Amino acid sequence: MVLLALFVAAVPPLAGQYENLNPDASSRYLIFLGTSALVLALWAISYNLMLGYTGMVSFAHAAYFGVGAYALALIFKRYQLPFFVALAAAPAVGAIVGLITGLVALRAVRLYFSLLTLAISQLLFSIVFQWYDFTGGDNGISITLPDQLNDYTTLYYFTAAVVVVCLLLMFVIVRSPFGAALLSIRENRDRAASIGINVRAYELAVYTVASLFAGVAGGLFIMYQQQAYPEMLYWTANAQPVVVSLLGGTSTFLGPAVGALIYVALDNAIAKQFPYQFDIILGAIVLGVVLAVPGGISDAPSVFLRLRERFHRGEKAEAPAAESTGEAIRMIDVRKALESEAIQAEAVHSGKMLLRLENLSKRFGGLRAVDDVSLEVRQGDRHAIIGPNGAGKSTLFNLITGRLKPSAGKVTFDGREITGKPPHVIARTGIGRAFQITTIFPKLTVRQNLQYAMLAHGGYTMRPFGVANRMFRNEAQELVEAVGLGPWADLPAGQLSHGDQRAIEIAISLALGSKLVLLDEPTAGMSAYETDKAMELVRRLATERHLTLLFCEHDMAVVFTTARTITVMHQGRVLTAGTPDEIRRNPDVQKVYLGELEEEELGA
Amino acid sequence: MTPGQVLLFTVGGLSNAAYLFIVAAGLSLVFGALRVINMAHGSLYMIAAFVTVVIANQLGAGLGFWGGLLVAVAVAGAIGGVVEVLVLRRVYGREHLVQLLGTYAVSLVVAGGVRIVFGPNYRTVASPIPGHLDLAGYSYASYSLFMIAGAIVIGAGVWTMLYRTNLGRNIRAAVSDPDLLNATGVNVTRLYTTVFVIGAGLAGLGGSIVAPSQAVGSSIDTDVLVLAFAISVIGGLGSIVGSAVGALIVGMVISFGLVIPQTNPFALAFVFIIMTAVLIVRPRGLFGRPES
Repeated sequence: MVLLALFVAAVPPLAGQYENLNPDASSRYLIFLGTSALVLALWAISYNLMLGYTGMVSFAHAAYFGVGAYALALIFKRYQLPFFVALAAAPAVGAIVGLITGLVALRAVRLYFSLLTLAISQLLFSIVFQWYDFTGGDNGISITLPDQLNDYTTLYYFTAAVVVVCLLLMFVIVRSPFGAALLSIRENRDRAASIGINVRAYELAVYTVASLFAGVAGGLFIMYQQQAYPEMLYWTANAQPVVVSLLGGTSTFLGPAVGALIYVALDNAIAKQFPYQFDIILGAIVLGVVLAVPGGISDAPSVFLRLRERFHRGEKAEAPAAESTGEAIRMIDVRKALESEAIQAEAVHSGKMLLRLENLSKRFGGLRAVDDVSLEVRQGDRHAIIGPNGAGKSTLFNLITGRLKPSAGKVTFDGREITGKPPHVIARTGIGRAFQITTIFPKLTVRQNLQYAMLAHGGYTMRPFGVANRMFRNEAQELVEAVGLGPWADLPAGQLSHGDQRAIEIAISLALGSKLVLLDEPTAGMSAYETDKAMELVRRLATERHLTLLFCEHDMAVVFTTARTITVMHQGRVLTAGTPDEIRRNPDVQKVYLGELEEEELGA
Repeated sequence: MTPGQVLLFTVGGLSNAAYLFIVAAGLSLVFGALRVINMAHGSLYMIAAFVTVVIANQLGAGLGFWGGLLVAVAVAGAIGGVVEVLVLRRVYGREHLVQLLGTYAVSLVVAGGVRIVFGPNYRTVASPIPGHLDLAGYSYASYSLFMIAGAIVIGAGVWTMLYRTNLGRNIRAAVSDPDLLNATGVNVTRLYTTVFVIGAGLAGLGGSIVAPSQAVGSSIDTDVLVLAFAISVIGGLGSIVGSAVGALIVGMVISFGLVIPQTNPFALAFVFIIMTAVLIVRPRGLFGRPES
């Protein structure tokens, strides 16, 4: 970062030297190129807040860049306001237009979000293009800078100063708990919602922030180009920040800045003589990155990181590649977990009604997946739901946690009705969840997985300052060690074996300090020994920390050693409920399970 | 507006809808079966338009055009096949943005290639069906009427292919569960290539058919792509009927929007307002089905 800053500061003197050595070259032109690289870097990094950090592809980002440029030009030229007022208006107008259009675009997710941004972009373009009296239509609009900025070296330093300030602000944002929430969304939307993050609100926030900085970049653009034109807003103009981000790497903050430098150099070297070949080269670069990067776009390798590695080579020995063994559960330290402050629940008198389901139903077309289920879970209970495959257990969990909206019925938790509320709201009322299919943040480290869950639970993720990775670090480390994952705390969670990922999954649901923890087949895929160990942890935590458990499980040994209450489901309905002893003796239950056994034996 | 004018603009809207439908149907078909948004769809349209113009101008407007059309569709289909095998096969099942960027990269490469091969100038070709039809005080180019009829035939053809042939049955099965289809012995890899080639061929057909009625230049790829997106989104991505309805809406809005002086500047803006409104009210479009 320091190196880059020095380089940025040194461009005009270097350009001057270059001109002295080589009379054909113009220092003015080089400084102009430097200015355009700075502006492009700012624009691309603001784009990468969405692309690399949140996993959103927008086709409207160029529109906010254009809007910023037009805002400055119109306010300065048409309304004759002081130049710095106009300059300040660029980000303000960019952000306002971004917020309003973002509200529309974020009605949809993923692909449909991208298509909506495309429509918005074309809409803004047609307004600028067609509103001849106001914007000058296809002639564009040109300005003359005030005298004190009308010197190219001064302008360069001014641009550099603004860009550096903006980059610092964005850097603070991506390191903050707010940035942590964005990463969680990129990694796994469902998991992010289930730790209490309001995915859409955060997406709208980052969309607006990105528009704001795009507005700044647009304002700076018109300062050195001295004109704005409608094509700046056309949807294909988004190619630039995308290509630049991919070129430099989306996985690091400054990657796109390096990309901007390369882009401007390439553009200058090739595009002037061979404009069409340049398109082909850009296409080939994007294609190469897309095909070569196995994970996702957020993995695009950073030129910046590689350079740094090259610099530091030899200084430190290559760290031995740690490998997870899948035996974390064997190393669970129950005592440590019990001491961990991350896992907490209010010590309330047992027996208070915590969760009540009344006549809950969910239909998928003609199928009644959950049919008129009523159920009560009391504080301190360990409530198991059992039943053959297809009994509706996972659907029931999805209804409770808000992933599915019930067709009928009512869910009350801790005295509040939560029927049909979105997942993040329900998570924040105190329901933690471990999914049946392992759902973690794969590219975040094991510790970050827990840290970010704690941040979200503590309500810190609205904060756009502070360093997320330093918050709750010790608490998360304690919990990581307690669940036996100590040696792999710094490894991306996705690299761990299945069993170890299950341990993270359970740890996340515990890290939320939830009053009620839902475990969907917690021991699926574990060996008998691992199962014992994991359930011992869960049981003892539940007892000593007053957690209430609601879990479904196929392993009857686990059910009967852990549960205090058992509900049996069959074909979407509650067959019966009672203590483990009552259930064991119930002939209907035996029939349901025996029936399934026979079918399995028949190979049906 | 007199009845004669209404007819004039209606026919104008229909002939817009005709070529847009052919292009959008290809986009929608590919999305329906492969779950891939093909950002290079407009590029195939552009290549075909250029190929048609060049061949027709070489060989003479009449027969030359029809020969050019066949070659152009074949070229577009062949390029589509290459893109599917070399690029798309590696990105199926990955996040949508990988596919968006991958096909987008292809469109950049094609755009550069087209400008190198065909140059930056606009080209035109004479209509293969000259002549006019006079009706209610206005005259209509026979070729426009041919385009409308052609689109109806192609629409019926695509529908028949989807709902009355083995290939269509397999495509529809692939939409709901490709793995299961694979297990029943259908070569899904080849099926995907076939679908993509058909989609690319439709893009080419659209570009070829529109060539005599519009100037062909090196930016028509993105212009048509964004309209095809609007149409498929309004109608519902993956639905052929939806593409037809979407194309009618967009074609009419452009035609009537352009002739009414008050709305003239914002005719295209209306298209995107409608697109936005549909996405908000019915996120999967008028005829779309939710993604599984």
